[in-house]
Amino acid sequence: MANNKIEIGFSSDAKKDPRRVVFVTKKTSAKVLGERGPEVMTYPHLLLREAIAFEILVIAMVVIALFWDAPLEQLANPLLTPNPAKAPWYFLGLQELLHFFPPFVAGILIPTLVVLALVVIPYFNVNVEGEALWSRYPSRNLRGVLVTTILVLAFLVFFDAWTIITPTAIVASVLICSYTGRQKTTGWQAALASKPLSWWIMTWFIAVSICLTVVGTFFRGPGWSWIWPWRPHVG
Amino acid sequence: MATNVNALLESLRETKVWKSIFRRGPANSNRTRSLAVFGNLFLHWMPVKVREKALHVRVSYYLGSISFLLFLILSVTGILLMFYYHPAAPNAYRDMKDLQFVVSSGVFLRNLHRLAAHLMVFMVFAHMFHVFYRGGYKPPHEFNWVIGVKLLLVTLFLSYTGYLLPWDQLAFWAVTVGTNIISAMPVIGEKIRFLLLGGHIVGENALLRFYVLHVVILPLAACVLMGIHFWRVQKDGGLTLKAKDSDGK
Amino acid sequence: MNEAENAKFDQRNPGADAEVTRRDFLNQITIGALGVAGFGSVAVTYQYLSPNVLFEAAAQFRAGTPDLYPVHSVTYLQDQQVYIVRMPEGFYAISAVCTHLGCITQWKEEAQMIACPCHGSKFKPDGVKIEGPAPRPLPHFALSLTADGELLVNKLQNVKNTQALKV
Repeated sequence: MANNKIEIGFSSDAKKDPRRVVFVTKKTSAKVLGERGPEVMTYPHLLLREAIAFEILVIAMVVIALFWDAPLEQLANPLLTPNPAKAPWYFLGLQELLHFFPPFVAGILIPTLVVLALVVIPYFNVNVEGEALWSRYPSRNLRGVLVTTILVLAFLVFFDAWTIITPTAIVASVLICSYTGRQKTTGWQAALASKPLSWWIMTWFIAVSICLTVVGTFFRGPGWSWIWPWRPHVG
Repeated sequence: MATNVNALLESLRETKVWKSIFRRGPANSNRTRSLAVFGNLFLHWMPVKVREKALHVRVSYYLGSISFLLFLILSVTGILLMFYYHPAAPNAYRDMKDLQFVVSSGVFLRNLHRLAAHLMVFMVFAHMFHVFYRGGYKPPHEFNWVIGVKLLLVTLFLSYTGYLLPWDQLAFWAVTVGTNIISAMPVIGEKIRFLLLGGHIVGENALLRFYVLHVVILPLAACVLMGIHFWRVQKDGGLTLKAKDSDGK
Repeated sequence: MNEAENAKFDQRNPGADAEVTRRDFLNQITIGALGVAGFGSVAVTYQYLSPNVLFEAAAQFRAGTPDLYPVHSVTYLQDQQVYIVRMPEGFYAISAVCTHLGCITQWKEEAQMIACPCHGSKFKPDGVKIEGPAPRPLPHFALSLTADGELLVNKLQNVKNTQALKV
């Protein structure tokens, strides 16, 4: 009888055999529902703030509208093209792009890809998790970033697209700086080192868009030639 | 004097007519404040309660609200401008001159409309970038993000169709260049351009079609999409907060 | 102020209200400001919607010199829808729009009367109704002579049908 010990399977020594309390598979995660925090009534708190925002907006716009006149040029003449013929400001970036790439690429392909890229952002796990780029595999990621940047820059140099090369180079160098400073805990390098890949791609996109739009607005003259806006030119 | 006016208002509020229109009574209890939002056709898109942290300007800079308010301003000024605008070439240009010199407040309305249009495009972009950086696209908000992208496209297209309507050199050639780009699309590009312009050239048909797009089709699309967008914000738990304030993540 | 003074104050100023709180005052100012802004917006919108320039035919027009019209004649001016009638006592300018439902009447030379094709109203050359559903005679417009001797018709001003322009 003394040998009929019932093997329970666990020893009572916690150091040797930690008790299993919860079995978590890869697919489930122990989610903790966070507190929603203190809430207030929409009316009046939110609605009054929106009303104030609206009033400030209307007042500012009315004042500007009283002094800034919307442009109106001569009657449309199908026989006379103004030089340069510029699109509205939000399409000027696209028009600048048209200068470097054929119309199909700059006008159809790239905008479609941009819209598609925007739409699929939330469906990629890497964007949802938002892990810092240098946290898990820093050297592998650095290699990936360097290769991609060099490929992109080579492609752009081939097309002589300096308007895009400049912001790309700037963002890439800041990105690499954040790699070198990834061990820091404070300062701008530490803040940047914690940013995920999606942050860097979006920042690059915004930088390129701003650069393209600014160049298209101020630095392009007749024949889409390069001009310095502070120098007089024949239009 | 003050209490006389107040007393008058009080007795007005007791009348049958008033009570038949405003059923909830003055909004001085949480119940009536809930009804002010929940029982109102125009406001029931919003949740009855909001998280206090979401009210701070820094959370959203009210960019989304401002975009919507700009849309309202554009609708009102746009409808008023419609009273003096004939979507026919070359009357359209003459009407622009009319608005500038003959119509009372014509200049002001047109300036306001154009300013609001440019601002709205800018604010919609700013709103999108801000939502991205704040992580507001993460589940369960993915669908709302997609609706937002569609709203961005509608806004850009609204601005673009409106750009043609003055029928001046700026408008004409901007649209000529734009529609030529569309024809660069393989297979269907030419057909789309033909449909959009109602012909092969930017002419009278193009003006009318852009007018209908700008005034009816795209605003309706925007209203429907905005309805879904606001509804989803409410149903998904209200305004998302900064990453460190929201649940879990 | 103690109770006695309060009572005396209320006695001497029976209509004086309880003091206005800061909240009430600000509320009233806000409503007042919104009211002014609202009223101003409505007024400016009304002004905007009332056109200053009309692309219509002018309401005042010249009808040529009097000697173009023989005595006892009724001449129909198609662009303006007005009959110039010259009788021995003078000139009349009569509206050609039937007073029944707005159709354009026609001058019947052989019958010496103005007839409306829509519902059969008939008028004498001075606009008085002979028969038909028209409720009123055809209105007369103000006629005058310009400085250089031309007839001037003002469709915005009606005159009695006995008033003739003597030339």
